[in-house]
Amino acid sequence: MASVRSAEPAYLPSTVQGTVKILVTGPFGVGKTTLVGSLSEIVPLRTEETMTAAGAGVDDVAGRPGKTTTTVALDFGRITLNPQLALYLFGTPGQQRFKPLWEDLSRGALGAIALVDSRRIEESFDVLGQLEEHRIPFAVAVNLFPDSPRYPEQELRAALDLLPDVPVMQCDVRDRRDAHRLLIDFVDHLRTAALEYQR
Amino acid sequence: MSRGPVRPYVITGGRSRPSRNVLEFESLVRSVPGAQLEPGALNREQQALLTICRELLSIAEVAAHLGLPISVVKVLVGDLWDLGAVQVVPPVRPAERAPTALLEEVLVGLRALR
Repeated sequence: MASVRSAEPAYLPSTVQGTVKILVTGPFGVGKTTLVGSLSEIVPLRTEETMTAAGAGVDDVAGRPGKTTTTVALDFGRITLNPQLALYLFGTPGQQRFKPLWEDLSRGALGAIALVDSRRIEESFDVLGQLEEHRIPFAVAVNLFPDSPRYPEQELRAALDLLPDVPVMQCDVRDRRDAHRLLIDFVDHLRTAALEYQR
Repeated sequence: MSRGPVRPYVITGGRSRPSRNVLEFESLVRSVPGAQLEPGALNREQQALLTICRELLSIAEVAAHLGLPISVVKVLVGDLWDLGAVQVVPPVRPAERAPTALLEEVLVGLRALR
């Protein structure tokens, strides 16, 4: 399997004192890796994590005979926001069967961008269910493939059964500027929601 | 000299959990220069980790560069931390600071990248 390994790591400035993270999730082939690549200041990196397919009670990284193990690729990137703070972007499949990875990743995350392919909306149901169950603030972002049907937002909201406070955004994830705008809009939404919650 | 693949629990001495539970994928690690370590105290992976962490990197980045699962790197970092060989910078939790202030800081940083 392809893995990106560069000889010399791109180090963070020594002034960095903390990190935050945002998840990019969605079904296979929806464009998670592309979005992370469009946003990251470093060449996106990949690790492969082994876990039991069933997901419950994983206690043994080596796996045991008789247990079904599966390998999940985790692609991620980084943005240094200021001399003290760096943002990590983790692209991860959010399906139920990857729950242990999902729980590690979601702990402390600012929020998640759930990428949706409007040609196969039903593949996103599982991921959206996981986000709701874990109470992670999220937005839906429709990845605009050239042949994607353009549904009116209300139709899409109804099809995905979204709560009113979940924003629906659109993005061509291959386009750096568009990807950047999506991330800014998402964080702006998180901030607005946090402000309203404080009141 | 090349070597065959080693099962993860060999590298970690049979454990799958780090000795400290606060290590996250986005925790940052840096080697402590001049840490006093007994010769032979470290295995090959721990030595490789200390070499690659001469400047700040996240646990996820270390895992990708060393070609090891993140769970294994967490164990290695936990041990090196116990030995005083690495410093760890924990993530900023939205709940620790006022979440709006943290989100505002992220937003300002992102907008400045345009």
